[in-house]
Amino acid sequence: MKSGQAEIVETSKGIQKSGLMSRRIAILEFILRIVAFFNTISSAILMATTNETLPFFTQFIRFRAEYNDLPALSFFVVANAVVSGYLILSLALAFVHIVTSKTQNSRIVLIVLDVAMLGLLTAGASSAAAIVYLAHNGNNKTNWFAICQQFNSFCERISGSLIGSFIAVVLLILLILLSAIALSRRH
Amino acid sequence: MSKESTTIDVGESSNVTKSTSHVVVDEKKKKSFVAAASGGGYKRGLAIFDFLLRLAAIVTTITASSLMYTAEETLPFFTQFLQFQAGYDDFATFQFFVIAVAIVAGYLVLSLPFSIVTIIRPLAVAPRLILLISDTVVVTLTTAAAAAAAAIVYLAHNGNANTNWLPICQQFGDFCQAVSSAVVTASIAVVFFILLIVISAIALKRQ
Repeated sequence: MKSGQAEIVETSKGIQKSGLMSRRIAILEFILRIVAFFNTISSAILMATTNETLPFFTQFIRFRAEYNDLPALSFFVVANAVVSGYLILSLALAFVHIVTSKTQNSRIVLIVLDVAMLGLLTAGASSAAAIVYLAHNGNNKTNWFAICQQFNSFCERISGSLIGSFIAVVLLILLILLSAIALSRRH
Repeated sequence: MSKESTTIDVGESSNVTKSTSHVVVDEKKKKSFVAAASGGGYKRGLAIFDFLLRLAAIVTTITASSLMYTAEETLPFFTQFLQFQAGYDDFATFQFFVIAVAIVAGYLVLSLPFSIVTIIRPLAVAPRLILLISDTVVVTLTTAAAAAAAAIVYLAHNGNANTNWLPICQQFGDFCQAVSSAVVTASIAVVFFILLIVISAIALKRQ
């Protein structure tokens, strides 16, 4: 009987411990979402405010580079803005996960939405990265000139704004991982 | 006698508690067993669908990688110094595409045993969790390769007036065609991967 009681006490402690673990996972998810939100919004803003005007011009052409001269970069801005909006809205759901214990179905919804946003963010970030690589190096075979040689600060800014987006990609992968682990736990 | 009766009483009560606890444990075991039998049904179906999707994704990724690898074109005129050739290795992004999609195809072949394990044991959590985590990493890699190649292909089709980048598709028609098909095929593979992740997530749910 004593051993039975001890078992019951142990299992209730085990349930308490795993409840605490689930809560810790939910809090970590909440924090990661906030960090990812700041990364994506800063990437979007940094890219969208990038322009450079060279200090010389002829009568017909003006040497100005803006982010929306390259459609891949404007797709990058849109993708980052959409993902940061989603992250803010999903903060509410993540907060509910901290408080409630029966979170199975909402976690599945969150995983599906997270995967969709991961795909969108990765697509935006990698297409912008391909264009930035081309801007840095050019291409001999196709006679595509490396514009970074003329527009230095423009190039630096668009390269820097990619970093925040890639960090957010890694954070989203971690979020999906955490959701999956929380989903597969016993409680 | 009284001692015996007390001991018998203690014994009975302990037996009673044991039997009730046994009954509770048996009921729990029954419930979990019933849950296992009913949960195993749809999880096994999901695992079979997962396996079939993996096979389809293997075919798709191998097709995409080989389409890009064999995309080359030589224009029928040349000067003494230049020959007008285009191949996948003229573009760093396309090289990345070929290697990344090939790695993904290799990963898919290696993940087939895990998928078979989830068919055989539909309630096991560890193989599904491993599959979900590595599928997430792989979906990122494939999307990155497909999106980067798509950006270059868009540029090849349309050019860019502001940066003076000419659209090369007007000259290299076949090359452009093959490369575009490779990008489309890789995007189909990405859709398959997203479905795989969703299936793993649904099947991970415990009753």
